[in-house]
Amino acid sequence: MTENAIRLERRYPHPVAAVWAALTTPELLARWWAQGNIAPVVGHRFSMDMDAWGQQQCEVLTVDPGTSISFLFSEGQLDTTITWRLEPVDGGTILHFEHVGFQLDTPMGRHAIEGMGNGWPSLLARIDSLLAEVG
Amino acid sequence: MRRIFPTYAGLVLPDVFAAVSNPARRVILDELRQGPRTAGELTGLLDLSRPAASEHLAVLREAGLVREERQGRNRVYHLQPARLAEIGGWVKHYEHYWNQRLDALADLLDKEKPS
Repeated sequence: MTENAIRLERRYPHPVAAVWAALTTPELLARWWAQGNIAPVVGHRFSMDMDAWGQQQCEVLTVDPGTSISFLFSEGQLDTTITWRLEPVDGGTILHFEHVGFQLDTPMGRHAIEGMGNGWPSLLARIDSLLAEVG
Repeated sequence: MRRIFPTYAGLVLPDVFAAVSNPARRVILDELRQGPRTAGELTGLLDLSRPAASEHLAVLREAGLVREERQGRNRVYHLQPARLAEIGGWVKHYEHYWNQRLDALADLLDKEKPS
């Protein structure tokens, strides 16, 4: 099996505090990702509204205030972990993004396999257009 | 929409996905990870009729996931793991998705507080 994780890095010309707010404030999060009652508190349970995928149950696993947050994403479905870590740099912030733990042997993994080529891409596209409207 | 799924436009991947979407065929692939098996051994493992098992093996062969080798009266099956690795590509959907989201985050940050 190939790498079952996604790791991305983005540099934003904004201070860490602004990026942190955009990640951990529900009103702002909804404008670039999706509706969900996130809070940077370990053990906090919330759900993210992924449109066609439905509500995805999440739980905050670790928090380093203003610096990093990781949470279980899509409990019982995709069963993955998302981590956002912020690094202050000259003139801005680097966001280190991780989405790890993708397993084929989960309901979502099987769904991805079984729906490939018909349902799945269009579901993703719908999410994207919804998010484009929100954003 | 076409822009979103460039990697799945090809005709190759769906064959692989269709092949592994079946539970019986996943059992076969799992078993072959341990090493080569004869058609008879695989049929016994699956608790299926011989024609049904043969059909599953044919699907896996056509998808390039297994290779058949004749040894005397036996047909021996070998796993072809390279094709299986393509399945890992489904994670790429998410990577593309997140890249778009992180672009949206950039727009939001610029809007909230132009630099």
